[in-house]
Formats: sequence, structure tokens, C-alpha cells
Amino acid sequence: MRVTARAAMPLILLAALLFSINTQAHQQKAGLSHVLFNPRTGNIEVMHRFYIHDAEHAVRQIFDPKADILASAETAEQFAQYVQERFSLLDTDGSPLKLGYVGQEQDSGFIWVYQETPIPQSLSGLSVVNNILRDVWEQQSNLVNIERSGTIQSLDFSANVQWLSVSFDE
Amino acid sequence: MPNAFHFRPSIALAVSMLISVLGTTCVLADTVKQTKGSFEDKFRQLDEALPTPNTWRAASGAPGHEYWQQEVDYQISATLDEANRHLSAQEFISYRNNSPDTLRYLWLQLDQNIFRSDSMAELSDDFGGLGRRGPAVQAGDSNSPARLSLNELRRQQYMADNELGYVIHSVRDGAGEDLNFTIVGTLMRVDLPEPLRSGQSFRFGIEFSFNIVEEDAISARSGYEHFPDDEREGGNDIFVIAQWFPRLAAYTDYEGWTNKEFLGRGEFTLEFGDYEVELTVPADHIVSATGELENANQVLTPTQRERLSQAETADRPVFIVTAEEALENEKEGSTETKTWRFEAENVRDFAWASSRKFIWDAKGYQQEGNVQPEVMAMSFYPKEGEPLWSKYSTEAIIHTLEVYSRFSFDYPYPTAQSVNGPVGGMEYPMITFNGPRTTLQDDGTRTYSLGVKQFLISVVIHEIGHNYYPMIVNSDERQWTWMDEGLNSFIEAIATREWDPEVDWGVEPRDITGYMASQNQTPIMTQSDSVARLGPNAYAKPTVAFDILRETIMGRELFDFAFKEYSNLWRFKRPTPADFFRTMEEASGVDLDWFWRGWFYSTDHVDISLDRVYQLRLDTENPDIDYPRLREAEEAKPGSLFVQRNEEEGIRSWVELNPDVRDFYDDNDYFTVTNKDRNSYQSYLEGLDDWEREVLERALEEDSNYYVMEFSNVGGLVMPIILELSFADGSSEQLRIPAEIWRRNAKEVRKLIVSDKQLVSVVVDPMWETADVDVENNHYPRRIIPSRVESFKSSPRGGLSGRDLMYDSTIELKSDEEDSEDTDATEEDEQ
Repeated sequence: MRVTARAAMPLILLAALLFSINTQAHQQKAGLSHVLFNPRTGNIEVMHRFYIHDAEHAVRQIFDPKADILASAETAEQFAQYVQERFSLLDTDGSPLKLGYVGQEQDSGFIWVYQETPIPQSLSGLSVVNNILRDVWEQQSNLVNIERSGTIQSLDFSANVQWLSVSFDE
Repeated sequence: MPNAFHFRPSIALAVSMLISVLGTTCVLADTVKQTKGSFEDKFRQLDEALPTPNTWRAASGAPGHEYWQQEVDYQISATLDEANRHLSAQEFISYRNNSPDTLRYLWLQLDQNIFRSDSMAELSDDFGGLGRRGPAVQAGDSNSPARLSLNELRRQQYMADNELGYVIHSVRDGAGEDLNFTIVGTLMRVDLPEPLRSGQSFRFGIEFSFNIVEEDAISARSGYEHFPDDEREGGNDIFVIAQWFPRLAAYTDYEGWTNKEFLGRGEFTLEFGDYEVELTVPADHIVSATGELENANQVLTPTQRERLSQAETADRPVFIVTAEEALENEKEGSTETKTWRFEAENVRDFAWASSRKFIWDAKGYQQEGNVQPEVMAMSFYPKEGEPLWSKYSTEAIIHTLEVYSRFSFDYPYPTAQSVNGPVGGMEYPMITFNGPRTTLQDDGTRTYSLGVKQFLISVVIHEIGHNYYPMIVNSDERQWTWMDEGLNSFIEAIATREWDPEVDWGVEPRDITGYMASQNQTPIMTQSDSVARLGPNAYAKPTVAFDILRETIMGRELFDFAFKEYSNLWRFKRPTPADFFRTMEEASGVDLDWFWRGWFYSTDHVDISLDRVYQLRLDTENPDIDYPRLREAEEAKPGSLFVQRNEEEGIRSWVELNPDVRDFYDDNDYFTVTNKDRNSYQSYLEGLDDWEREVLERALEEDSNYYVMEFSNVGGLVMPIILELSFADGSSEQLRIPAEIWRRNAKEVRKLIVSDKQLVSVVVDPMWETADVDVENNHYPRRIIPSRVESFKSSPRGGLSGRDLMYDSTIELKSDEEDSEDTDATEEDEQ
């Protein structure tokens, strides 16, 4: 059978899904976000990746049953806006970092949404809230890889997880 | 004597303490990671990890000379009560004990019991926890309230309102005597009146019934789907019926009874056998089932039978029931019933589907050969699947058989079917359930997106492909999801790219790097119900692993031979992971234990870094050549900053101010050659053997460049190092270093290359074929690889143009087959 949560492969997977869900079970319902501390730019860059197939179905549920993310640039921007509203980074005091919107693009079966913010002066950890698409399908699971100084820490947003934190060793 | 008595106990005590200390050490010791130092033996053979070979399973990975498996034949009569969504049936089971063991009881799987509210799957459900199938929920915490979705509420209400699971009315032996039976969750033990010895058979019957679950409410692999808007009063249903009769659990040489509770994720393995099944359904239903229809004369019209025979040799699928006929049919019901009779030989399960909504098309696949020269490919779908299904479903079935058979064996069954119902994608012998639907537009037409089209093609390929793995190569999905999902997804990836290589099917090594770099993974070799993130773990990662084996490590010829060997050795038999690992090595002659260890037993990822490249030059030993070179090298260094500044300030040295005081050393430096040096060179040459002199002379004459490259293994997975070397003359070469370079040091290695050309730059894995996670450290000299944000900001139009082109291609693909050129353009632009 097909399976529902696919983090990494697109269509083979894409298709995947299944039955645990229902007739639309072929979506992946799996997002991947890369949070990169980029020393070249001095920014924390956030790169969200979703299967276009997931996004295609999601926009019909979120915005309009006839919405077409492939055909309409406005719908794609609308989706990007939605992604930003449902993702946040907080410092260890719980204050949100203000993430600026960079843009969105479609590439090889995925839609990418980009955000960035300057790396704060001192940051001993990071909390993440990632509710993207989890209000649409509760089977949605979002993997967040936080890469800083070449080390990756992963956070898995699925089921009842609301927010998760990482701390950085100095 | 007293002394001796006195000593013995204390020696015994000392010994036993020693053993317990050693025992503790042994538990902690790991043959891969050492107890002293940091050496990791990533090439250690899988000796301890694999089971000991025996007469049933050979060390070569083939079935042993005493291999055995049970055989179970079924005769079933079932009646579908459409109005009540209720199924009642009776089955007669013939069980043949081919094992060397005497059996005192039999275990059967009662999969319908998973839907009971007291099932282990239900009771052990971690509210809001990971890995649950079906509608999800969120548990609360200090920041947020718990949430129940409407889907979950619907599920709870449905389970409260409906009596689910089996009712077992009787279990009787051939003489009609009741047999003692015990139900344990999703399993049932039937006690045999007499022990069943090796070679003996036992026949018994079971009467059972159950309420069919509403698939959309419960999330199952089968059930009914209701269409309330159909013209018929009360609407219509599609029934897809699977895991529906008490089925004999497999009895195996490696696990005994495979009686592990069904928790929903780990599917199943069963025994092969022959089936005769009678299905009594409303007279206006069309039935699709495992096997061949035996009484077409009684259930099909003369026109339908005529169309079926036309379909055998047709170029394109022929409608057995047209869309118009199906639409007409679904407007009314019937109080009559018909009984459809199917037979299937040598299958490991039986499933079926029934509805008055079905459109039905068919096309014969002329496979030729001796095994099954003709296969009937058929699709069954409601109007809600059109116009997509009639165009692609049956054609995709045939494409699947062509591609899969090339990698394994001829398809051995007379039919291969794809049914559109409520299930997203699920496989049974000769029949599959596939979910894609089209969208009803305001103007009454139905359309579909490129994504839905790709989904249909890939899901049909995937589910039909499961006929090979695991329906024929009968691996155990209750234990190892990857053995059928991983192998099958891998061949599916080949078949989809052979369907249309211009479409991005997302099966490349680069697509798995995000998952492999992440923390908190389970190895592929994890029992199905315990796997975290089943999709990437059991489908995508094995797919990429096999792809890398085939394209990068073994090569297509060796891989394909070994894979085909595995498939044929275990055709209609029951392989375990060890049999697969062993056969792939045995048939290819390639040691792959390191690969299985890294990709299947660990959660390491691939990240090879090229840290440094330096050049060596051969010393000639001739002082007249070497000393000037050394002088050159010295002079090439920057001079002293102190001296330079002094010169700038016009400060003159003592030597300059006193030119009249000079000696030998003012005119000769350290690199001056003396006759003593020349004499010593002569005696060096004379001391060489002839062959040494020849080697030296040739090397001096060629005066090659010697480069040493230093690599480190950041990700932990040992992999081949694939290099692209670029030279000053503009040429480039590929060098493929086997993974074995890491065998003595899995952390850092060096490689010497000798070239008459001057090396300018080196790239590791230039084609992105190894799933290397960090591409930046693949370049020497380092190259800045912009992040996606950086490259997006530098050319923001790239995203826009990509989107517009995809839109164009979407439009083309919706309408007809002229899409290939547009798709092509899209792919190129996205590079």
C-alpha cells in the first residue's frame, strides 16, 4: 500500500498515501523546513519545502475550492502568506524573531517559501512553532532541520506537538 | 584435604564473579565500535547480524535444499447485504502441513477485529501520538487545549454506533464437529482434534459475518464508500472488500507462527494456495476480484462477453461497461441477486470489489512465453474517476507488467486489475484499489490536474507492482515494511521514469538528503509498527539506496542480474532480509555488507568532504637539479617584512656598508652544489639495482604531477568517492574510488593521483548520485554554494518563470497528449 507521511521523496511518494486518510490520501502531508544560520549573509534563512501536490490540495481547502496554485501566481503568494503566519522562531526568552518574507518558487515538484532575519547578537537557543498545514490535515507532519555551524538539530512537528526548542552549545 | 576443601569454593566464587564482570563487558562491547580507541569497523561482515544459515535457508541467500512452506486452499461463499452493509460467509479451509513439525493448533488472522473498540490497536493508541493511522488528534499541553478533529469525532461515533469486527458463528471440522477456538485480538487459535503431522492435511470450515466499515469514517484498507448524490434514491455504494475472511497465519521456518497482533501499520504475510470463491451480490452490480471469472455466462450479458473477447487483442482498452451504461445502471437498484464465481491458483490472498457504479474497461496484454501468454488488464471505476481513468489506468497496468517482468519474471496470473474506490492505494493478488478522482466543474465537466494524473499513474504502477513484491516474492510486511515497499518503490521509480522521463517523479538521491540529515531516525531494519516516519524510512530511503547500488556501486549489469536472481529464487517463496542481502552479494560478487550496514542498519548519512589537495614533486637525488629547485622554492617565498621595511627606510646593512670585507659565504648560498654532493649522487646511483634505476629514470623523464587529496567522512556513511578532476588545459577526468578506501579508517582517507597535467580543481560527486547532504564541502578549492534564499534573491525571476512554464504544461497535459514538448521546456528551464 501507499503510506502517508513522506518526508523526502516527492512523487513516488507523492503519491503515496493512503489509506490512512481517505480519498485524498495520495498527498504526502509532510513538510520540510531548513533553518540555516548563514554566516555569509549574517541571516537566519528559513526555507520551507512542500510537495506541490500537498499545496495544490491545501489551497483548495484554505482559500477556495477552485484555487489553483500551479496556474495562479496570486494563489502561490497567498499560500506563502499562509505559511508565514503559521511558522515562528522565538528566542530563549520567548520573544519572536521577526522573519522577513523573501519569496516563493516552484521547483521540481516542490513549492518553496523563503524567510530570513538577521542572526541576533547572542542566541543560546531557539524555539520553533510550526503549524503549517496542520490545521488542514491533522496527519500533517513537519520536519524542521536547524543547521548552525555545520551541525543539524531536527524537530518533528506532528501529532500534538505545539512548539519545540533547541539549544546551542557555545 | 581440609585445605583443598577450603580453597575450592573460593575459586569457584572468584570464577563466577569474573564471568559476571566479563558478561557485562560483552553486553557493552560492539564489534563495530571498539571498547578502546575510536576505530569503527564499517566494513565488518554481517556475521552476527544475520541468522545462521540452515537447510531451509542457505548461506548463499537461496532457499535451502529442505526449504518448505505450508499450503492453504480456500472455498468461500459470501453474500453481500448491500442495504445493511453486512457480509456473511462460510469458508472451507484445507491446510497442508509441509513443515517438519507436528502442529497441535492453527492460528488464523482476524483482521476485521482491529476495528473493535477493544482491539489492541485502538487501546494502545497514543492520543495525539506518533505513527497513528487514521484521523489525527492533538493532545493538549499548558499552552493549548486538546483537539479532536471532526474526522476523529466521526470515527468515534461510527465505532460507537456500529458493531464492528467478526462474529464467528461456527468452527467445525470435516465431520461437522465443533472445534475449540480461542480469539486473541486479531488472531484466533483453532485447536486440532488430533496433532497434524508433517505431510498431513486438515480440512475445516468457518461461518462468519461482519459489518463492513465505512472507509471514509474509519480509515481502513477496505470498506464501503457512499455516494449520496447519485440519482438512485438513497444513493449508491462502492464496496472494496479485503482482509475479509479468517486467513491462516503463516507458519514459517524463521518465526514459527507469524501471530503478531495486527496493529494497523505492519501489513501481513500469508500462505499460498488455491481459491474458489462465490460472491452473491445485487444483480446489477459489477464485481472485480482476485482470479478469473468462471461463470461469465451467468453474470455477464452476451454483449459484455463479446466485448471482453474483443479486448483480448485490442490496441487500446475496450469498454465492457461504458460510461453511459454505468450511469444508467446507477440510477436504479435491484432486489435480485447474482452469484459471481471466481477461481485463483497459487495466490496468497483474495480481495474483491462490487458496485453498480462501475465503468469497466479491459485490454489483453500479450506477454507471450510459457508462463502466462495472455493477461487481461482491467479497470473498474465510477464516473467520478473520469475522464482520467479510462485513458490511463489499464495502460498503466500493462506498462507495469512489462517493466517489472523485465526485472524479475513473467507475470504468472491471468488478470491484473485496478479498482477506484475509497482506498488511496492498496494491493492484493491480481487486484488493487487506487484512489485518484477528478474534480467536477460548474459546467458539469470533470477535470484533473497534472498532480492527480501523476498520482494515478504512479499509484497504479505501485500497487500493481506489489503483485511481484510481496504477492509473489512473499516477504513479511508485518515485520519488514521495506522488503516489499522499498523494493517495489524502487522498481516503481524505474517504471514511472520509463513512462515519461520528462516528468519529475521525485525519486532521485538528492530528494532524500533532508530526511537523512535529520536527527531522531530509526534504521530501515526496524519492525514495521515501530518505524518512525514510514514514508521516507521504508519507501523513499530504500528506493534511493537501491538506485545508488544499481547506478553507482554495482553497475546496472551486476545489479540487474543479482536482483533478478533474488526475484526468481524467491518467486512463490518466502524471503527474509538476510536472503536478500546474501543473494545480492552472492550473484554479483560484490561485497555489500558495508552498504547494508550503513544504509539499512544505521542512521548515518552521506557527507564526504574534500578538505585539502596538495602537490608533491619527486626528488631526482641529483644535486644539480634538486638544489636549484630548492633555491627556487625558497626564493618564491615572500621575503622578510623587516628587511623590506628597512630597505624602504634606506637603512643599509653592515655588509652593504663594508663591501671590502668578503669571504666564500658571501658568494655561495646553502644551495650551492659541491663535488662532494655529486660524488654522493654517483654512489647513490651505483647502489641502485637495475630495476630501481629504470624506475627512477622513467619517473624523472615523465616528471609527472603528484597530488594528494585528503577526505573526511562527515556524515558517517562510507560510500564510494566519485571525483571530477579539472586540469589547466581545460580537460577533465572522472575517477571513481570504491568505498573500500574507508575500510581501515572510516573518518579520514587520502588518495594519491599522478597526472602529467596540472590539476586546477576537484569536485566530489559532481552528478549528485550518492545523496551527499552537504555539497559545499565537495569542492576544492571551496566554492560558495549559495543557499536557496541567496540564489532566489540573486535571481528572483527564476521562480516566476518556473511557475509560468509549469502552468503552461499543466494546461497542455489536461487536454491531450501534446504535452511532451512543453514538459521538456519546463525541465530544462528548471535546471
